[in-house]
Amino acid sequence: MQALRTLARKLLTEGTVQVVIGYENGPRGARPTFVTLPEEAERLVFTPGCVQNLASYLSPRRNHLRALGKPAVVVKGCDAKAVAGLIRESQLKRENVVLIGVRCGGVVRDPALFEKLSLDTVADRCGDCDNREPKLVDHLLGELPPAPPASTRMSERMARLEAMSHEERFAFWTEQMERCVRCHACREVCPLCFCVRCLADKTMPQWIESSAHARGNLAWHFTHAMHLAGRCVGCGECQRVCPADIPLSLLNRKMAQIAAQRFGYKVCDDPQVPAPIGAFRKEDEQEFIR
Amino acid sequence: MNIYQPHLMRVEEIIDETPDTRTMRLRFKDPRVASSFSFKAGQFGEYSVFGTGECTFCIASSPTRKDYIECSYKKVGKATTGLRDLNVGDDMGFRGPYGNHFPLTLMEGKNVVFIAGGIGLAPVRCVIWNVLDLREKFKDVTIIYGARSVSDLCYKRELEDWATRRDVKLWQTVDPGGETPAWKGEIGFVPTIVEKAAPRAENTFAIVCGPPIMIKFTLPVLGKLGFTDDHIYTTLENRMKCGLGKCGRCNIGKVYVCKDGPVFNAAQIKTLPQEF
Amino acid sequence: MKKEMFISDSDLRALAQELLTAGTAVIAPVQKKLPLGERIEYARVQSPDQLVFNQAVSANSLKEFIMPPTVAILCWKQRKAEVELQEIPRDPTPQVVIGAHPCDAAALAVVDRVMDWDYHDELWFDRRNQTTILSLACTAGDGTCFCTAVGLAPDSSRGADILLLPTANGFRAEVMTDKGEKLVKAHIPRFKDLENQQPLPALEAAKKKIAANLRMDSKAIQGLLEKGFEHELWKTLGLACHGCGGCAQVCPTCHCFDIVDEPEGVDQGTRRRNWDTCQTAKFTLHGSGHNPRADQNCRIRQRLMHKFFIYPEKFQEVLCTGCGRCARVCPGGMDLPEVLKMLTAKAAL
Repeated sequence: MQALRTLARKLLTEGTVQVVIGYENGPRGARPTFVTLPEEAERLVFTPGCVQNLASYLSPRRNHLRALGKPAVVVKGCDAKAVAGLIRESQLKRENVVLIGVRCGGVVRDPALFEKLSLDTVADRCGDCDNREPKLVDHLLGELPPAPPASTRMSERMARLEAMSHEERFAFWTEQMERCVRCHACREVCPLCFCVRCLADKTMPQWIESSAHARGNLAWHFTHAMHLAGRCVGCGECQRVCPADIPLSLLNRKMAQIAAQRFGYKVCDDPQVPAPIGAFRKEDEQEFIR
Repeated sequence: MNIYQPHLMRVEEIIDETPDTRTMRLRFKDPRVASSFSFKAGQFGEYSVFGTGECTFCIASSPTRKDYIECSYKKVGKATTGLRDLNVGDDMGFRGPYGNHFPLTLMEGKNVVFIAGGIGLAPVRCVIWNVLDLREKFKDVTIIYGARSVSDLCYKRELEDWATRRDVKLWQTVDPGGETPAWKGEIGFVPTIVEKAAPRAENTFAIVCGPPIMIKFTLPVLGKLGFTDDHIYTTLENRMKCGLGKCGRCNIGKVYVCKDGPVFNAAQIKTLPQEF
Repeated sequence: MKKEMFISDSDLRALAQELLTAGTAVIAPVQKKLPLGERIEYARVQSPDQLVFNQAVSANSLKEFIMPPTVAILCWKQRKAEVELQEIPRDPTPQVVIGAHPCDAAALAVVDRVMDWDYHDELWFDRRNQTTILSLACTAGDGTCFCTAVGLAPDSSRGADILLLPTANGFRAEVMTDKGEKLVKAHIPRFKDLENQQPLPALEAAKKKIAANLRMDSKAIQGLLEKGFEHELWKTLGLACHGCGGCAQVCPTCHCFDIVDEPEGVDQGTRRRNWDTCQTAKFTLHGSGHNPRADQNCRIRQRLMHKFFIYPEKFQEVLCTGCGRCARVCPGGMDLPEVLKMLTAKAAL
């Protein structure tokens, strides 16, 4: 942690960046913080409570953050994949951000409730993390901690869903969608949802009804999942922030599985590796074109 | 019935004022509403096409003319596109009147200067007709109106009418470059023509409406001529939905445009925070 | 009829059953099993066994039962040029809330003010009038609750038709309104003499704990906000905010809404009122493309202004009942009690 604070102080003092986006300890656990003065770097921390994906603050939509100047961002492996996505899709130039990678042993799913990592408290996504040492970095800090507790919660839930028939699955999602109030928190926190004008907000034509009934909600969530297919990094922020506790990660994880099966693609933090959306290979299967 | 239920209206007449501005004359379908409906100059309503939504416009006709109301608008999005698709004889909705109004009783016995630009003439036209229909209550009436070009002038038929009236002094202008060879009016931005027309400030009220930039440059001219802020009136617009103070959308600081406005005088405008 | 009575836990559940049998909707905190885990939330119950008392603040507020996230305003049918408007039947289903948190009951009374401002909002008041609220004083508030700071308390009776105070064997029931009296009379066998039933000591402990969570000066904050539109604090307060509006969704007093038309087929449809939030960019986006609140700093400012300056200026009370849900749900870590403490300090300068 001291290395992080020292580095942040240095970057700010030398004017390499104007703001360091990292984590601090807040009233309800670790939370995002924006350090603009070198002496404030003392409040930066990196603990198992640092669950938020800070890459979302690099989105072009956040004009009030852009006004601060060039940022440095603390990134875990999953966060780095999101930054890679932004670079890959031309939303961010690599040279316009300093990436401070941290070696990660997993984070808790709710920093307000849990401080220590355990099988019970670990976030869903950490169970099968493949990027504990992010590669898309300018600096890499910290000792490599032990692997996160191997929680199987996510795969169990996926297995339960896949065991259902199509009718049962549709009934399951309809029931979940009755709870959605269309706050779009899932969209606003997603680092890959950077469209200044989201399809769901377009009125001419009204592609997706904005009212919070199951019909409109299903349309929104299915469209959202499709637009994230092959792009979602699985950080699970959408699910964590949902006020109605809808298991959105399940949808996105399924899309990721399909992307892997069909296109041999797994989200990674190398912006040079092309994604299925935005790249075409001759070997791509085309059996759906008849 | 609830407060969000609109009256049913029938489109009686459609006039294309300019390539992008249209006026519609609407009649209440329910004769009881038609005979009891009343409003004051400056108030607005929510006009809707069922299927595309509601839009907020001032009532552009005068309260002195019963049986119908009018609105003028430009096509900018979904709801106004819905309005443009209406034909004479189609049904639509109207909720209102909402908001405050121009203080005409204060202006009785005084001179009135109307200054408008482009489609800003719509809310002002409501007051102009109100004043002209009660002409003997007011002293000198001056109208200064301009638009980008000749084709952008709204209410052309009424401008002709006002031009011929002896009891109205009308100045018409187009922006430099907007004139046609046949144009006989002024050439210059509205604030420049206001300076040229130099209306007397003594015992006079000014009603100003138009694009923000026009208002920004007109107010200092009026100030120089001696107009005090409490004698200059304008209308503000803001994004609205309910029109009656509940949806929390149209406030500028603590002022709700739908309840405390849309009519404000320059003194009030100066106290508003930069949020419009 | 006495104003203070006793009702045991089993009698309260039996009362719930009587209401259900009579066709009245019963809303109460329940332990809801979700794919992601369990949580306490207000829900319509099918059985009195579902009722859960004396637990932490529920995840949702009572707002959705008085102002649903989406509600029809009117329906229309169109044949060629003619439109026929159909009124929405005014929902007559009575509902009783058993175990409302006092912050949630009070919130409804606070929002009543704007819903009755010059125009009486039938969509709100129809459901409001059909709802009887039995508030249950809180013994389980956490470090984020701050009802005391906004003039309420864990045992506040504001907005309650009957206030329940937990005792060793059940609840002390204080009848606050005519509606409450009507309910008691209809189920009088359930209510017994109060005798010596004292509220649990946990209640006093909860009151002390919540009061210690936050001390703020509402009047001073109101003054600071009134003069502080251009204050430099707005440059940094909104940095972490994602503009998701999660705070507004869970907030019991946030009531801002949108009105949309939804065609359902070629010639018919519904006009709806939907929850909306000032935290999104498009809330104030004009058709011309101009946006008076163009970035998140402006939008955070609006939220605080509306709650702690504009509403009190008009209605003499803040648009907040201290439930703390906004802080619990915020993905960016924004913490309203922390902000209010900071504003109090700045106002004192």
